[in-house]
Amino acid sequence: MNLLNKNLLMRAGQIALLLVAASTSVLGADNFFRSQVAPILSQRCLSCHSGDKPKGDFSLKSRATFFADGYVEPGDSAVSHLMELIAPSKGPAEMPRDADPLSDVEVAVIAKWIDDGAVWPDNFELQESEVDDFDWWSYQPLTRPEVPKSDNSWASSAIDRFVLDKLNQHGLTHSPRADRATLIRRLTYDLIGLPPTPEEVSDFVADADPGAYEKLVDRLLESKHYGEHWARHWLDVAKYADSCGYDKDKLRPNAWPYRDYVIRSFNEDKPYARFVQEQIAGDVLFPDEPDGIVGLGFIAAGPWDFIGHVEVAEAKLDGKVARNLDRDDMVSGALNTFCSLTVQCARCHNHKFDPITQEQYYGMQAIFAAVDRADRPFDIEPAVAKRRRKLNSQLNDVVAQQAELEAHIVSLGGEPLSDAQAAIRELEQSRKAIYPEEHGYHSGMATKADVEKWVEVEFPSEVPISKVVLHPCSDDFNGIGDGFGFPVRFKIEVANTEGTWTAIHDATDEDFPNPKLSELSVALKDRKARRVRVTANRLARRADDYIFALAELEVYSDEQNVARGATVHSADSIEAPIRWGANNLIDGKWPRASGEDVEQQIDAATTTRDLLLARIITERIAQQRTELACLSGEISAQIEKLPAQQKIYAAASSFERQGNFIPTDGKPREVFVLIRGEVGMPGKPAVPGVIPLSGDSPWQFDPNLSESERRARLAQWLTDRQHPHTWRSIVNRVWQYHFGEGIVATSNDFGRMGAQPTHPALLDWLAFEFRDGGQFLTAQSLKSLHRLIVTSNTYQQSSANIPSNASIDSGNQFLWRANRRRLTAEELRDSILTVSGAMNWQMGGPGYYLFELEKPEHSPHFEYFKFDPSNADSHRRSIYRFVARSQPNPYMTTLDCADSSQSTPRRTETLTSLQALTLLNNKFNLVMAQEFARRLKREYESSNAQVARAVELVTQRSVTPGEMTEYMDYTHRHGLDNLCRLLFNLSEFVFLD
Amino acid sequence: MPHRRDFLTQSGCGFGALALAAMLREDTQAASGGALQVLHHPPKAKRVVQLFMAGAASQIDLWDHKPLLEKVHGQPSDFGEPVETFQDGLGPWMKSPFKFSPYGESGKQLSEVVAPLGECVDDMAFVHNMVGKTGVHSQATYLQATGFERPGFPGMGSWISYALGAINENLPTFVVLPDHRGFASNGPKNWGSAFLPATAQGTAIFPQRANPIDDLSAQADFVTAAGDHDGLELLKRINRRYQEQRNGDSRLEARIRSYELAAAMQLSAPEALDISSESAETMKMYGLDRIGATYPDQINPAEEAEYFGRKCLIARRLIERGVRFVQIWSGNDNGFPRRNWDSHENIERDHGPLARGMAVGTAALLKDLKQRGLLEDTIVLWTTEFGRMPSSQGGVGRDHNPHVFTNWLCGGGIRAGATYGESDDWGYKPLERNNPTQVYDIHATILHLLGIDHTRLTVRHDGIDRRLTDVHGHIIHDIIA
Repeated sequence: MNLLNKNLLMRAGQIALLLVAASTSVLGADNFFRSQVAPILSQRCLSCHSGDKPKGDFSLKSRATFFADGYVEPGDSAVSHLMELIAPSKGPAEMPRDADPLSDVEVAVIAKWIDDGAVWPDNFELQESEVDDFDWWSYQPLTRPEVPKSDNSWASSAIDRFVLDKLNQHGLTHSPRADRATLIRRLTYDLIGLPPTPEEVSDFVADADPGAYEKLVDRLLESKHYGEHWARHWLDVAKYADSCGYDKDKLRPNAWPYRDYVIRSFNEDKPYARFVQEQIAGDVLFPDEPDGIVGLGFIAAGPWDFIGHVEVAEAKLDGKVARNLDRDDMVSGALNTFCSLTVQCARCHNHKFDPITQEQYYGMQAIFAAVDRADRPFDIEPAVAKRRRKLNSQLNDVVAQQAELEAHIVSLGGEPLSDAQAAIRELEQSRKAIYPEEHGYHSGMATKADVEKWVEVEFPSEVPISKVVLHPCSDDFNGIGDGFGFPVRFKIEVANTEGTWTAIHDATDEDFPNPKLSELSVALKDRKARRVRVTANRLARRADDYIFALAELEVYSDEQNVARGATVHSADSIEAPIRWGANNLIDGKWPRASGEDVEQQIDAATTTRDLLLARIITERIAQQRTELACLSGEISAQIEKLPAQQKIYAAASSFERQGNFIPTDGKPREVFVLIRGEVGMPGKPAVPGVIPLSGDSPWQFDPNLSESERRARLAQWLTDRQHPHTWRSIVNRVWQYHFGEGIVATSNDFGRMGAQPTHPALLDWLAFEFRDGGQFLTAQSLKSLHRLIVTSNTYQQSSANIPSNASIDSGNQFLWRANRRRLTAEELRDSILTVSGAMNWQMGGPGYYLFELEKPEHSPHFEYFKFDPSNADSHRRSIYRFVARSQPNPYMTTLDCADSSQSTPRRTETLTSLQALTLLNNKFNLVMAQEFARRLKREYESSNAQVARAVELVTQRSVTPGEMTEYMDYTHRHGLDNLCRLLFNLSEFVFLD
Repeated sequence: MPHRRDFLTQSGCGFGALALAAMLREDTQAASGGALQVLHHPPKAKRVVQLFMAGAASQIDLWDHKPLLEKVHGQPSDFGEPVETFQDGLGPWMKSPFKFSPYGESGKQLSEVVAPLGECVDDMAFVHNMVGKTGVHSQATYLQATGFERPGFPGMGSWISYALGAINENLPTFVVLPDHRGFASNGPKNWGSAFLPATAQGTAIFPQRANPIDDLSAQADFVTAAGDHDGLELLKRINRRYQEQRNGDSRLEARIRSYELAAAMQLSAPEALDISSESAETMKMYGLDRIGATYPDQINPAEEAEYFGRKCLIARRLIERGVRFVQIWSGNDNGFPRRNWDSHENIERDHGPLARGMAVGTAALLKDLKQRGLLEDTIVLWTTEFGRMPSSQGGVGRDHNPHVFTNWLCGGGIRAGATYGESDDWGYKPLERNNPTQVYDIHATILHLLGIDHTRLTVRHDGIDRRLTDVHGHIIHDIIA
């Protein structure tokens, strides 16, 4: 016995108490294997060592395969090689590879099993471990709990009775109602994210109407600012940003309509199920409604890897990784947001805690297998959308009739016609142009067209030249193709040794049409040259930029192209081998169509065919043909006349191709169940479906469902009345934003790794009422849910501390008081803009920049430190700012703004020294301090009045005489600007009681 | 140098008195703010410097000598298996354009472009069998920086700051010194705190900017030192009153304290960044003997030496003053002309100057830390997102190679002079393909040296107990002293 295993056995001996006592009976050994050994093998080994291609050719699936390679010597763990792999005497364990080693207990169990004879029960096959237990609160059907009875007058609403019930159970007492000034400040921030004006406060405080509070609630819920505030919460969860993230962080200039859609949906109080459905399958379920398309911005809101999609081919491993992660983002986005389930945990293995298998997870990926993120056109007017759909459908009909007619003609023509057509097809295929990989020379990018760029060849000495030939490039970039980069205006010049230039071709004053692949040849007589240069003075458009590209420059001396071997110079050049490089200009390679003889053959074949057709096509057929063509033309013309469509960055299956980023046109990609989540280890094909919600609920869809039907099914499943998660999820989120913490603290995770509800009955009651509506609520109306919550006495409690309660429930999970909170980044910035009087209340539209944008043509640089915050275009509510994903705004980030790369169900709240520096010194705060001071001076003459008003605007209360003395003294010495700057730093401004 | 307390009272800055209060407290208080109240085991190191070469630095042109490539140079490359390159085109084998020579007692072969590190080589430990997961810069950079190839995860510096807290609260716990040209792939997301508290995020310092740390000082005409002095006193009084009326809320107290710390940082940070008191000898050692020169657009050695050297010198000053984690970047994002290590076109043209500049600063940092006794509890890690191919792309550049690359570590309990893990004869994949080293292993080892068990430093996020090493990571005992 070697030393290693002796050690091991001693260790095993020490923990023998943990093991089931040894038993010699076969039944005992069977049980030991089933209960102790098999779970270890299933959980720690099976994911690699199973399937068609088990790692190391070693499968643990069955007895036969397990023992085939002699890794185990039954009866003697000391000589079993398996032990050396999982518990070597020295160094890290080789197995499990790339994971934590087995624990001492696990190793001891396996050693004991081997020593006892390694009994593997007959016909026993290891199964990948999975959770199949639905006995968890969030999976229980939603029922309407009884509202607890109470004769306490405080508990006037159902919410209060549920809360009071818990308070009583824990020996806690509720807090008194907060005063009116506190309440209006709390309510205004919670509902619209802004401070109340001093006048609104004083009116409310003085309002003798017993319904004053309810009136206030109604006014705020009717405010358009309500949507602006609550959309921000939603966008945190949805990961919304205006750029893609990852490397090159490309801008998404058409993402904002989704942001505006969310704002509008909240303001319109859109029924929740409808809101959910629009965001998953609005295009399918509500095809004529603009919101049906714009809502799909949800699926596309998260990060997207430009390089992995556009620059890398989908067939490559890196391309597959990118698409797998992309679908993962869509699946987790949908399930985290609407169901509060962490389905993404099942990407690499079955979910370890919740009943979600890897097969089900990849089934959900299959739902999104045909969609990508791209700009997609839509009609703003429902009537136009409807008309467009009708016309498109008519056009499709006509096209179908045309196809039918042509088929009829073909059938009449019989073999001679089909032969003639086959001959033409063949010839046309042979005509296919030849595109070398080496594209040519490519200048640097320019932001406008009228910029000069040049490229030239230089010979060692002067040579006589007879002809100069330019060959255009071809590149699929931005769908441009042939003639890519060929200058719109240009000239060709030659220079002698002395450097005197002469133009031999001048097209600098007139636009040159795209030559596609035809060459431009300039014949010369008696000309000598040392250099030949092509200068573009109007560049070709590429995307949002302009370039000059040329595949080949030939210079003939007699019959020989002397440019080969010359030296190339250029104003600038993009060197991206193999495709682009200055030397590609003289490599003898350019894209070209095939030879002339093919064209002649095609002409001949076409003539033959046309003669055949002339015999077949009767007058009647010809007439039918013409009628259909006219009809098609008419319909197309009507479509063209419709108002222009707007674009939304959303889930899309047909869009403009960009490099390797090719639309599926609705054909789902193949999705496999990936072993260990690795794209290089595909298992069986995934069948589209959802996750089971109970032991016997069906979860797979018909695999033949189309792309859009799959999403429609998902949308319907998510909004099913019986869904146990959806309704609880949304009422919990709303509750959380009002109280600081949800009834379930983990609002994105209702699984076993999440928190349990503190008030399960209240949660269910709210969810039930919200879903169905009734006496207290309008069904699925978020505004009515807000109203119910904020009019409860629970919500209106004071935030003051009660030491006796705090000693029982210091975290206030049972809501014996209101939670004081710090304002969010957006609330702070918006409040500063509001009180300083600088706020521009314009709603919607493209995001405004809070940075200088540099180098957008390649990887945008978001230069925040160069931005001038006095720019009035940026004095708008924070939700309308352009959110750059890879470089989050440092000001907002320091104030705990959400990171748009991950779903943020709840903001963190920190108090750091960097935050103090930001509020003191950030240029925005400094500019706003001056703005605020200017406003005060404009509105009030005396310094006293200015200071009093400043304090009132910032704190929504009157200044005390003591404070007045201090503030006046400070203002007198350091100016009103500095006082204003200081007021933005008050804890009273930053916190909400 | 005057005593710090004198410096504070004499500075005349408005924040002086407040700052003094905070700094005096720091003098008597131990480090604070870490999530780990008790370390998992006794540490060998307290601080980390991470040097990140953005764009993918070539292992075989700097650290991993491959004599075979000299023999087969120019012959068609044959990998014995299908090879999927990142860009298209697989050229012939290509030897390094740089000469290799042995250095130190260990005789470690180093490229001529990193020759200055020859003097340090006996203190360094090389890992030549690093493997990544992807040849896409962004994902690979995330993987090396955060342990995940997707956005949304905290960087290593954030995890360490979160776990251990500050050594000196008057400076940021985690400092990042980006490339002077701009951000590498993923930008600040490489050092964001993601789901950890914002206190754990990296603070970017741009030594060449007027405000090297965002918002460190106010840039406005109306701001005066006296106004700030009086203002902070007044603010403290008012905020104190607000706090006193609301007992039982420690956040209100923390907020008052945050202004004291901010004031202290306003003094400490400029002092830490001010290299004017460094000796001429030190400046020369760091390659800073021609400050203020102007440089061409193309990458060039003098510019690299100056900018990288300055960051190394600042790193030493920060480490000396109790910054926990310093991350230094070499290389900007992808663009033309090249401004990072992504030498698809020309290894010699771009790697040459980048490496020479990097080596000057890095060698100075290692020697300087050592002579000040700081290297023994400071780990220095040199890394990049992946390696480069032993074949050319047809010209004189190399394509991406995520299958093998090199890391090296030094100081802080690392075994001096070690070489661990080999690559194959070409430098294409690990010699033992089944036994590579991954970023998780490097992270696990660094956490181990800091006294942290990488499997026990976890934070629950969206249903998963997240950790820096995900579900992976083995401590590399062979490179631990």
